[in-house]
Amino acid sequence: MTQPSATPKTPGGSRSPVAAHPVTSAVIAILILASIFFAVWVPLYASTTPKIGDFPFFYAYLLIYMPVLGIVMWIAITLQGKLRPGPGAKHSSAASDGEVAR
Amino acid sequence: MSNVNAVTFTIVVVLFLVVTLTGFAAARWRRAEDMLHLNEWGLGGRGFGTFIAWFLLGGDLYTAYTFIAVPAAMFGAGAVTGYFAVAYTIIVFPIALIFLPRLWSIARVHHYVTPADFIRGRYGSRGLSLALMVYPHAVTGVLSTKRRDIIKRNMALLPIYSIMLGFIALLGYVALTDKVTAANVKKAGNAQLAVPYLFQHLFPSWFTGIAFSAIVIGALVPAAIMAIAAANLFTRNIFKEFFKPDASPRLQTRVSQWVSLIVKVGALLFAITLPKTFSINLQLLGGIWILQTFPSIVFGLFTRWFHRYALLAGWLAGMIFGTVAAYNVSTPTTSHWAGSVDTVFGHTVYIGLTAIVLNVAVTVILTLVLRVARVPAGTDETARPQYTADPVDTPAPAPAAAVLGSEVSGGDLPSRLAFAACLRGLPSRLAFAACLRGLPSRLAFAACLRGLP
Repeated sequence: MTQPSATPKTPGGSRSPVAAHPVTSAVIAILILASIFFAVWVPLYASTTPKIGDFPFFYAYLLIYMPVLGIVMWIAITLQGKLRPGPGAKHSSAASDGEVAR
Repeated sequence: MSNVNAVTFTIVVVLFLVVTLTGFAAARWRRAEDMLHLNEWGLGGRGFGTFIAWFLLGGDLYTAYTFIAVPAAMFGAGAVTGYFAVAYTIIVFPIALIFLPRLWSIARVHHYVTPADFIRGRYGSRGLSLALMVYPHAVTGVLSTKRRDIIKRNMALLPIYSIMLGFIALLGYVALTDKVTAANVKKAGNAQLAVPYLFQHLFPSWFTGIAFSAIVIGALVPAAIMAIAAANLFTRNIFKEFFKPDASPRLQTRVSQWVSLIVKVGALLFAITLPKTFSINLQLLGGIWILQTFPSIVFGLFTRWFHRYALLAGWLAGMIFGTVAAYNVSTPTTSHWAGSVDTVFGHTVYIGLTAIVLNVAVTVILTLVLRVARVPAGTDETARPQYTADPVDTPAPAPAAAVLGSEVSGGDLPSRLAFAACLRGLPSRLAFAACLRGLPSRLAFAACLRGLP
């Protein structure tokens, strides 16, 4: 196990992505927690009515939950991507202070 | 039901052979940079993209168990034991989204192959890393991906499989409603046969063949990944750690390949020779045991507050309690290991959950004690920015090449450029150097330019 080079300590005082984008961060947290809560809190959907098609509510709820979850996760991930510019530096030529290891 | 349908059987055999041969062909499909390297053999060179990762993780999570046992539970006991699998696959993705990207990043930066590698690096503790020998093998699939956002994207894409899981689960009810199938299953006295019998009765034999092959082949991917995960674990955290610390990457890969084979043969013997209840009990215990590694790994990804010995003690407490509690579960027909739920304060609770509450409680209390007593906390080789690091598009630097200085100054290969992958968005805009191995030098150069201010 070798240490990667150039990993100095974060200087104090610089702001974390969460502190820099409090609203976006809160929205992400709410989306993730809500998607867990609405599945875990079974009494919410443990009923036969209203029926959706021939499906009792319990079964239909969880079946519909899946695509909704996919979309919610996608939104959360997209928002996360906005916290820092891009999932990696490849799309922009924006400079960073990285030095070439030589 | 007694005689084998020739058409069905032929289709199963043919499709199985096709998949097996494709597997062998695929091994030569993409030339590995260095096949005799654990990164290559054990983690596919850490190079899988979103599409492949989706299949890999999907195949890993939704196994033959999904096709057989979930509908069987629906058939035999109803939604509480069967349909819960659907709710489970809902909550697993948001939870995983919270910590898996961090695990991926830290593993990439430090070339960790197993979660125990991470624990070893984070807490500087062999004992704790040894304790984490049991872990969810899905981690292996996660670590084999190319970029951090691929993990995240898959957390949004994997629920698509779960829609299918919901419908497959409902096949258990279809089998229950189909009188012939229901009668056949009852006669055989094994609810696991619900889906196979249903297919046999409802569909033409050729389609039944395809469905059966899907079940058989569906068992291959997780089996392979589990064997690789176990082999990597042995190689990295037992063989290299205790027997041969200077083991070369080549030797590590060889050992891992052999262990993987031994694991597979062992599993086969286990399945054939031991009574069926053994594997069911082990499955039951496995869930409880794996859950006990959660504090060390997941808490460890976010904080170093917990003390290594406290985590070890908490794990031990959870393991002992969970095992004893599971042993004591009985039903009128079974004296021990009869289930995985227990009664706590009048509520029916999963034993794993009670065990992990105990685990965390012990960990927190002991951490406070050990901190007051100033017991050494061990060295932490990780740094905070590394948990969100995302080396852009670079193939994983092989451990052998990770010694940047010598590698670059040596300059024996033109393509072996090192360039600074920018850790964008980090407070201090750090960069860390990553080795580009085996890529055309022009590409490496282009990447290099982008990384420059």
